[in-house]
Amino acid sequence: MLTIKDLHARVEEKTIIKGLNLEIKPGEVHAIMGPNGAGKSTLGYVLSGREGYEVEQGEVTFNGANLLEMEVEERAQAGLFLAFQYPVEIPGVSNMEFMKESVNAMRKARGEDELSSAEFLKKAKAACKQVNLPLDFLKRGVNEGFSGGEKKRNEIMQLIMLEPKLAILDESDSGLDVDALQVVANGVNSQRDGKRSFIVVTHYQRLLDFIEPDYVHILAQGKIVKSGGPELAKEVEASGYAWLGQAQEGEEA
Amino acid sequence: MSQWLAHVIERAAAVDDWLSPVRAEALAKLKEQTWPGRRTEAWRYTSLHAVEDLSLATESSVQAEAPAIAGLDALDLVFVDGRLTTPLADLDLPEGLTIRALTDKSEAAEHVFTKVKPSHHLFGLVNDVLATQGVVIDVAQDAVIERPIRVVNFASDNVESHTRVLVSLGKNAKATVIEHGSGTGHSLNTAFAEYDIANEARLEHYRFALHQGDAIHVGGSHFKLANKSRLNSTLIGYGSQLTRLDVDIIHAGEHAHAKFNNAYLLAPKEHFDLHSTIEHAMPNGTTEENARGIIGDKAKAVFNGRIHIHRDAQKTLAELNNRNLLLSRGAQINTKPELEIYADDVQCAHGATVAEIDEEALYYLLTRGINKQMALVMLNFGFVQELVFDMPNKALADWLQPILKQRFEDMMERS
Ligand SMILES: Nc1ncnc2c1ncn2[C@@H]1O[C@H](COP(=O)(O)OP(=O)(O)O)[C@@H](O)[C@H]1O
Ligand SMILES: [Mg+2]
Repeated sequence: MLTIKDLHARVEEKTIIKGLNLEIKPGEVHAIMGPNGAGKSTLGYVLSGREGYEVEQGEVTFNGANLLEMEVEERAQAGLFLAFQYPVEIPGVSNMEFMKESVNAMRKARGEDELSSAEFLKKAKAACKQVNLPLDFLKRGVNEGFSGGEKKRNEIMQLIMLEPKLAILDESDSGLDVDALQVVANGVNSQRDGKRSFIVVTHYQRLLDFIEPDYVHILAQGKIVKSGGPELAKEVEASGYAWLGQAQEGEEA
Repeated sequence: MSQWLAHVIERAAAVDDWLSPVRAEALAKLKEQTWPGRRTEAWRYTSLHAVEDLSLATESSVQAEAPAIAGLDALDLVFVDGRLTTPLADLDLPEGLTIRALTDKSEAAEHVFTKVKPSHHLFGLVNDVLATQGVVIDVAQDAVIERPIRVVNFASDNVESHTRVLVSLGKNAKATVIEHGSGTGHSLNTAFAEYDIANEARLEHYRFALHQGDAIHVGGSHFKLANKSRLNSTLIGYGSQLTRLDVDIIHAGEHAHAKFNNAYLLAPKEHFDLHSTIEHAMPNGTTEENARGIIGDKAKAVFNGRIHIHRDAQKTLAELNNRNLLLSRGAQINTKPELEIYADDVQCAHGATVAEIDEEALYYLLTRGINKQMALVMLNFGFVQELVFDMPNKALADWLQPILKQRFEDMMERS
């Protein structure tokens, strides 16, 4: 599904990703954990093609295609989805038109017919219900005046509507209470079909109790410093990242 | 001197109704006016050439219905070419609401006519002397009128018309008034409205100036706010051969709050001119004005936003923001902020910008597979649509949104 080889990337003048390798197969769930500022969000931005995030070195292949050569919207149309850590507010665009354009753009890219208004509405209503968002939110501006939790649920609602092949969830759990966390996790789990893959970026083991990962990676200072199974997340939960800092300082010294 | 104005003055002499004494004062002022040219500040970017020698019929027998708006159950008062066609006696009015024709003498009319609108507006004076047709809306103290009142003004072809709306909101009263104008034929319509808003009263106001094509529409909405009153006004304008609107919001009492959103969408070659003046004459008032325009190819928009904070108006909070989006190199905007602040303890912000795309918002849309061209359309229209979403009346917003979207898409195609 996704192969990242020796990726180096910078934002403005600062190199943030420094030699990252990752291989994700269809149906797998990979958790990426790591301290603040490690480069987790940066990785998501680089993979999605955000302007200003420059790849210095390395390769990324997504379902056989060279991801790094594609435009942002082409990556999305090819099935890559990024759930934002900080979803963007767009007051003048309604969720309804936003989602409709988006769903139909994806359908078009897959060679499917556009949804009629009625078909779209039916799907949107079901997705709203699934993530516990009131229906009138469709009429409101994109993320406008939403609480932190509502924004996160909106990202998951989009995930459900857009049916991507690979979804990167950037701290979709931060700032959520247990109930909201459950809603987010259920939303994600409902999309697991053995073919779709997920990268779950999180700070806490908590989310991984609900979305069970196949692999856990620790990202620090721009690369993956440790990989393991679900038990690695529990270790991190118990001991924090302090060991990391020391190990790395040792390495550098 | 314009031949048209000379005619107006001649015709004014023949107007004889119960308002004649007041009209005479306006006529005297009108006679002192010189015909605006390029050096007249208020008309600097808007040529009146099309009016100068205009000679149109002064009445018609055209019939027209009020444009239907789904979900809006309004009390409709319809003018066709300046003729009030709604039989007022047949209206079923809620308690606390009185609606009269301007032809009938009333205290409410006397109290408001020429008392809110400043007398320096040339076409306002024309309207003062010629508008015999009009409605007087009188809302009693404490009355809460839920049903919106809509004044429809339709201009057909080859006709000149002058209409007046006078609104008086009693203490602690609440009402919604919609001024809904349209017409595409070669016409001249002046439509002026005056709103006297008493202490603690709340007015929700809309002005849809949807004249297009050869229509010439010159008008104004003028508001006087007493203590602790509230105004929430939205103006949506198209351009036409010539559309010119003057809005005055006068804080005549303390602790009044005014919100004024306006948006103009100009199809190719249209002309639209909005002059807004916020007068803070008393302390502790707040004003928030958002003006946003999208201007098509070879169209021209003029926005003049004046904020005048008088010496006594301490603790005023006034914000005016004007953003414009030009759809082509041939599109033109003349935007001018005018700040006059004579009080020292005030907060006042005034900005005029050419709209820029929010890169983060664009990125967000792209990550959802929306192509760049469509994303730009959504964001560009979004900045006007935001004001539509902000309208308190959802039926009106739902009606306007697709109409404006369509207009915007047509504008994009032709730019
Ligand atoms: N636009 C930017 N310009 C410069 N540095 C940035 C920018 N965005 C992020 N960084 C830096 O990149 C590093 C990684 O940030 P980020 O990817 O957000 O970390 P994480 O998501 O793991 O907390 C941090 O040191 C941060 O300060
Ligand atoms: Mg982050």
